[in-house]
Amino acid sequence: MDISTLIDSLHPLEIKVLTTLGLRPSGTALGSEQLADAAELEASQLSMAVEWLLAKSLITVQTETVTPIVSLTKIGEEYHQTASPIERVLAAAREATSTGKRLTIPDLQSQGGLDPSDVSKAVGRLKKEGVVLIIQGGCIETTGRPSPTAEALRPLLGEMHDSPKELKSFTEAHRQVIEDFAVKRGNAKEPFRVDERVARSFILSPDGAGAAAQLLTQGVAEEVSQLTPDLLKDGSWRQTRLRKYTISLRPPRIGTGKKHPYREFLDTVKTKLVSMGFQEMRGALVETEFWDMDALFMPQFHPARDIHDVYFIKEPSHTTAVDEPFLSRVAKVHENGAETGSTGWGYSFDVHRAKRLVLRSQGTAVSARTLAASPQIPGKYFSIARCFRYDQVDATHATDFFQVEGIVLGEDINFRTLLGLLNLFAREVAQAKDVKFLPAYFPFTEPSVEMHVRHPRLGWMELGGAGLFRSEVTLPLGVTVPVIAWGLGLDRMAMVALGIHDIRELFTDNLELIRTTRGLF
Amino acid sequence: MPTITIFKDDLESLLTSEGGVARGIPMAQLEDWLMLVKGELKGHNPETGELRIELQDSNRPDLWCCEGIARQIRIKQQGRLKPYPFFDKTPTSPHHLIVKPGMEQVRPYVAACTAKGYRVTEKGLAQLIQTQEKLADIFGRKRKTVSIGIYQLRNITFPVTYELVKPDEVRFTPLGMETAMTLSEILMVHPKGLEYGPILAVQSLLPILRDAKAQPLSFPPIINSREIGEVRVGDDELFVEVTGTDLRMVILSLNIFAANLADRGAIIEPVEVRYPTSTVLGTRVKTPQDFGKPATIQMKAIEQALGQELGEVMVKQALEAYGYDVSAEKGSVKAKLPPYRHDLMHTMDVVEDVAMSRGYAEFTPVMPAQFTVGGLSPIEQLSDRSRELMVGLGFQEIISNILGSPDQYCRAMRLEGTEWGRTVEVDNVMSLSFSCLRQWMLPSLLRIEAASSRAFYPHRLFEAGDVAIPDGIHELGSRTETMIGALIAHATTHFSEIHSCLDVLCYYLGKDYSLEPLQHPSFLEGRAGRILVSGKPVGVIGEVHPEVLERWQISMPVVAFDLNLSKLMGLG
Repeated sequence: MDISTLIDSLHPLEIKVLTTLGLRPSGTALGSEQLADAAELEASQLSMAVEWLLAKSLITVQTETVTPIVSLTKIGEEYHQTASPIERVLAAAREATSTGKRLTIPDLQSQGGLDPSDVSKAVGRLKKEGVVLIIQGGCIETTGRPSPTAEALRPLLGEMHDSPKELKSFTEAHRQVIEDFAVKRGNAKEPFRVDERVARSFILSPDGAGAAAQLLTQGVAEEVSQLTPDLLKDGSWRQTRLRKYTISLRPPRIGTGKKHPYREFLDTVKTKLVSMGFQEMRGALVETEFWDMDALFMPQFHPARDIHDVYFIKEPSHTTAVDEPFLSRVAKVHENGAETGSTGWGYSFDVHRAKRLVLRSQGTAVSARTLAASPQIPGKYFSIARCFRYDQVDATHATDFFQVEGIVLGEDINFRTLLGLLNLFAREVAQAKDVKFLPAYFPFTEPSVEMHVRHPRLGWMELGGAGLFRSEVTLPLGVTVPVIAWGLGLDRMAMVALGIHDIRELFTDNLELIRTTRGLF
Repeated sequence: MPTITIFKDDLESLLTSEGGVARGIPMAQLEDWLMLVKGELKGHNPETGELRIELQDSNRPDLWCCEGIARQIRIKQQGRLKPYPFFDKTPTSPHHLIVKPGMEQVRPYVAACTAKGYRVTEKGLAQLIQTQEKLADIFGRKRKTVSIGIYQLRNITFPVTYELVKPDEVRFTPLGMETAMTLSEILMVHPKGLEYGPILAVQSLLPILRDAKAQPLSFPPIINSREIGEVRVGDDELFVEVTGTDLRMVILSLNIFAANLADRGAIIEPVEVRYPTSTVLGTRVKTPQDFGKPATIQMKAIEQALGQELGEVMVKQALEAYGYDVSAEKGSVKAKLPPYRHDLMHTMDVVEDVAMSRGYAEFTPVMPAQFTVGGLSPIEQLSDRSRELMVGLGFQEIISNILGSPDQYCRAMRLEGTEWGRTVEVDNVMSLSFSCLRQWMLPSLLRIEAASSRAFYPHRLFEAGDVAIPDGIHELGSRTETMIGALIAHATTHFSEIHSCLDVLCYYLGKDYSLEPLQHPSFLEGRAGRILVSGKPVGVIGEVHPEVLERWQISMPVVAFDLNLSKLMGLG
């Protein structure tokens, strides 16, 4: 960098420091305080300027001295106002000895205002100094000898009460007391604190000397840091020197408006599904067992309908009515298959149970409602539905979560088009080319498939389950064409995309985490 | 979906056909075979050879055991099931089991057989017990509909009777106890009595199985006698019985057990059960018994469902290789399930078995070709536009559980006992933290604010999502509505800052709104408003009440609004 470019980039504070040093005979070192005084800078301004100049190698550190400084801690100030534990213990011991009263360590510890550990420490020190004796029965008695510690503490507390002092200004004996009673790691409850004050002196480097000489000869032009409307209006910006910035520094942080990373992920899935021709469905958080399970041909004795698997609603516990003709048709199908070509489950269907209200336990409930509401044929539908499971919450189980699921209706739907659709999902949603189809079981589909895909970053993973809805599901709801039911398990993909390992973090309350998480979709 | 533990060498020895030896089957091969049984390998300990397998199909109890898995694989390899002779045989043995009158009121059905010539090994015994437990627990609905007992045959004198006795009439030493107890003592003291007693709760007479010498075999479905009903390693003559409430389920369970024991080398002898009155299968019911009937399935139905022309021969082959008994006719096949299965409810169940037997990989995927129009629901579109605008206003989106606590949604909001404090509550609460649904958005936003005092300010947060609002008129007792809530927190925030944001949001959503003063316990009086569009209330806005902030332990001023997007649809 040539010298004029360098000078143009200097901050006014830097210029003050450079010229102050430049006015002194070459090689003069100035300490921080002298430099601040001479340059007429606040201590904080000086320290900023010095750091910048050091970074640019325009000044160097000539000397660096470390001075231990002693000051009182909050506890020290308290001891100064009242008395230190050792003083209080000594006073109590002297009084007990002179009046002949029994005084034990527990007696002292039960006295108000004294911490038991302070008492043991004080007694220990006094004993070591030969000031007190522990006699039979644990009684404390004074020997009449003075305590150097107690006598030193009082003046030391007084002396430092107002202002910190250099450690070396004290006598050897007092220094020992200070060190014994100074805050150390693991022992914060002490009256003194010893800090190290670093004093540095600075001289100009050869580059700095050159810059200072140049500045002193050319004089310092009037510099402005901010272009203002006034400068623009009257044209005075032409006569103004705008300081050049050091642009390599990191900028200050600002607040951002943005989507939640998990919602953003779900938005990309939503967009994909819409682009593949899927229409969105919505459903209620509270559902009847009928739509959540009965309509899906899950028998009322199915283990997944247990009190330990589904959340039931307290009030009202049941719906007033389930839409007909669906209720009676589904009831018959459960009992004997009715006209679906099925044998049914062969049990007596409980209509009251069907009316029980639950928190939606599976997104397929939304599909069941769609089937009953005269869907488009051919038609494709999806929902991203919040569902609830009666699970202990841990790293892989959440009590509420999103399920991405849907249906495809059409004359051309069969087992092979089901596989074709899953291939499409694999490619579009998981960017996967390799797909494996495994036989699976769901109460409402037959045949049923589980799809495993090779994700470009995750390797083989289960992407979802699907199948052809059983006739026991579709016919009672008034649908006569074959229907694919599908569901995608995307949480693992989302967690990898968001770089998290615990499902609870998807719904974290940590704002800093939400703000800094980036989705790599 | 039971998960079972089996041993690889045990499975391999069951896979061994006459003369053949199967040892050291590669795991990849095994996992491929597991597709035939909808099994997923959950764990494998190479040192002990222990495999943990989850069986997905809850209608195939025959597969919930090592023998059943091996059988399905073996059939595929051999092309057909080798028939079990005992299903056809009329009983030649004198063994009878007599059901006394009255059982129909309690636990009507029983099935039994004997198994000789298989010496029980340690691993075999573990499998017997596991099968017994899984069948009774899952298929038998915790022993309610089916329970199973296994005994040492040599101690039993036939005929065995199945009858009712008074609770204190009979004493025996149950498994797990040292001394004889009456049935009522078993119900009160024995762990199994306490666990399964409720199945018999209202009965004044209790069921018992006794032999001809009046020795108790067991007190079904609770516990076996220790003297007769404890099978040990080395036993080679067994008596197996199943009791329950559904005749077909009872016989099916016995059929599975009999096939399993036969696969291990036992000779099965059926037992004739004599009922006092006729059952659907008559008064004298020989068990095990193949009660299944063949079904005629149109080729068209199979081929349409699979999307592929296969022809009768190929379908016959596929089904035989999956255990069916099949005869092909023109345009249809007549198929009968093997006797250890009873899960054929619909043609499609056969279709799936054809696909599985051939292997899903044999079917080439075809893209569904019909054209459909995709799109988002109107409420989702409104929600998405609102979210975009909030992001533009510099707000960070958040996302929350909907299931929370009354403490969060009501008490901390000062809403207890008010019209705003009503929520949809869960009846079977597991944890108070997840016991009611949110009725508005602000608590979700405050949850984040309360946890984030160290995140740099200002905080501008929003969430769009569903809430549930109790509504006595609605058929579901509540309405699910989509709301958007926004919050600003920093040292100098005030009403007009959040008001400006609401103003911008409503402007771009094209909703002409006004505010009217509102007294709401969650907001400061005189600094809260009801948001009106076309005169209808659609939300609230205000400075959050300091007491609410205290309850959330928030020490930063907060302003917020809550806007009901579902109500906003079609207004203004």
